[in-house]
Formats: sequence, structure tokens, C-alpha cells
Amino acid sequence: MTRLDIRPYACPLTWVKTRIALERLRVGESLEVLLAEGEALESVPRSAAEEGHAVLSCEPAPAEGPGSWRVVLEKGQALEEGV
Amino acid sequence: MSLSEAEVRRYARQLILPAMGEAGQERLRAARVRVVGAGLTGGPAIVYLAQAGVGTLWIDDPDPVGPEDLAAWIYPPADVGRPRGAAAAEAARAASALVRADILRPGAQPTALLVCPGRQEVARAVAEEARLLGLAHVVAEADGEGGSVTVVPPGAPCYACAFRAGHGAPPQPAGAAAVGALAALELVMMLSGASQEPRGRRIDLVRGQPVARATSRLPGCACGRAQAAP
Repeated sequence: MTRLDIRPYACPLTWVKTRIALERLRVGESLEVLLAEGEALESVPRSAAEEGHAVLSCEPAPAEGPGSWRVVLEKGQALEEGV
Repeated sequence: MSLSEAEVRRYARQLILPAMGEAGQERLRAARVRVVGAGLTGGPAIVYLAQAGVGTLWIDDPDPVGPEDLAAWIYPPADVGRPRGAAAAEAARAASALVRADILRPGAQPTALLVCPGRQEVARAVAEEARLLGLAHVVAEADGEGGSVTVVPPGAPCYACAFRAGHGAPPQPAGAAAVGALAALELVMMLSGASQEPRGRRIDLVRGQPVARATSRLPGCACGRAQAAP
């Protein structure tokens, strides 16, 4: 599974990085996103769901560092259609 | 080729837009746009094309910058007397270090045109040239406080088919800028593949009221015959 760490970034780059990573996957493939609690935790899963991707899981990842969360997304049809 | 980190950061807000994404941004980067006319309408359009990430801009306007052109956003007073093409290319490079902008040189092979010449007969001639080359083009014409934008994807009804006579009023700078910015937006949407509207269309901006219509081919127009040819 492709892994993406967006903890160093702030909005809007958190979602931009996630969106580009999803764009590079095939429909049905999964993306593991490490993100920080706060803005990214609120906005990234929401934006992914709004664009037709599935949020498979969303849980704290204390082993990755304090305040870290792991979100697993599955690419949906929306981005694949392009236009 | 994937976007660089610098490009992702530069275009972050655009990359969020539905249907744009990395692929759309890469298509913009690969585009080579010939911009005809760098006056009140073309000036703001050039800035938006550069800011949007169009990779190459060739500015086609040998006329000198006049004092009245200072309302075109992109020319400082010191530019008066310089050729508009060279001064506008410099403004585009100042707007974005990621754009290659220059005057139009012989042998240049654009992939699309933005036509903002300020004179209707020039618009018609350049649009016809673009059509014959099979290139996407957008024509922006200021008219009074508004104007029109004609969007011609390859194979769509041509500029002449879409033409409607305006009032021919002298352009108000802010209205010309609005029309130029709208034309740049339409071209960016078309070149990136993000457009929801694959057909040709014409947008008229009259007294602050925009009206967009799909264009249709005039019976017997040469653009239809070209379409029908094998």
C-alpha cells in the first residue's frame, strides 16, 4: 500500500499532496496517509469522501509520534474520470 | 513528467479544483500559447495564463506601449515606447518564474491561441488561421464596459459562425480586464482538460450580465466543410 506523510504540511498542501497521490493510483487501490490531528485530520478525510473516495479507517498512530493519525483511503471512480 | 515540489506548492490552490489535478496541471505546462494582442484585454490575460502554469507564452504584438496601455495592469510607466510583446513577456516572467515567455518568433509552433487584438478584422483573421491549423483558440473582445469571449475548441463552430456585432464602444479598462481574465480562464479550462463544456461557446458580458451560449455552425460555413472532409 502506498504511504504518504503529510504531517510537515499545512492546508491547502495537505489535501493537494493527498489528491495527487490518489490521482497516481488505480481505482480500488489504497493509500495510507499519516497526518497530524487538527486541521488535516478534519479536512483530508472529508475532502476525500467528497470526491468519491472511501475512508477505510481513521485512527490514532501514537507509535508514529504524538498527535499522529493514520487514515487509509481507497481510490474511488471520481478522479479516474478526470473531467 | 510529474510536477516538481515547487510546482505543487505554486499551483496548490488550483490543484484542488475538481477535475484539474496533477494531470491537468501537466497539460497546462506542456501548452504553448500564442497570445495575439497585449493591450487592455491581453495584458491581464497574460498574467493569468502565466499564473495558471501555462508552460510557454509567445506574445505577438509589435506595437509600442502607449500611455493608454498603462491601464493594462502589466506595464509600468517606464515601458512606454517599448514593443508591447517584449514588455508583456517580461511581465509574464515577473509573474511566474515557471513560465517561458518571449515574443513570438518565426517558426514557433503554438498548441493554442489567445486572441485579444482590439480590432475585429484582426480577430477574424487570426481566428481563421488558428482554425485552419486545427488549434484551440479563445477570442476576447472588449466592448464598452464588457465584451465577449468566443471559445473555439478544435472542430467547433468557428469565430465567424459565433460572431455577433457588438456596440463597438471604446473599451473601459476594467471591463476589458474582466473579458481578458474570463478568456484566460476559458483557455486554461480547455487546455487542462478541466472544462465541463467540450463544445464551442460564446460568453457575452453586457452591463455586468454574463450570458453564455453554445455556438452553432452557420449553414455552408467553411468550418463545417473542413469537418466533413476525411
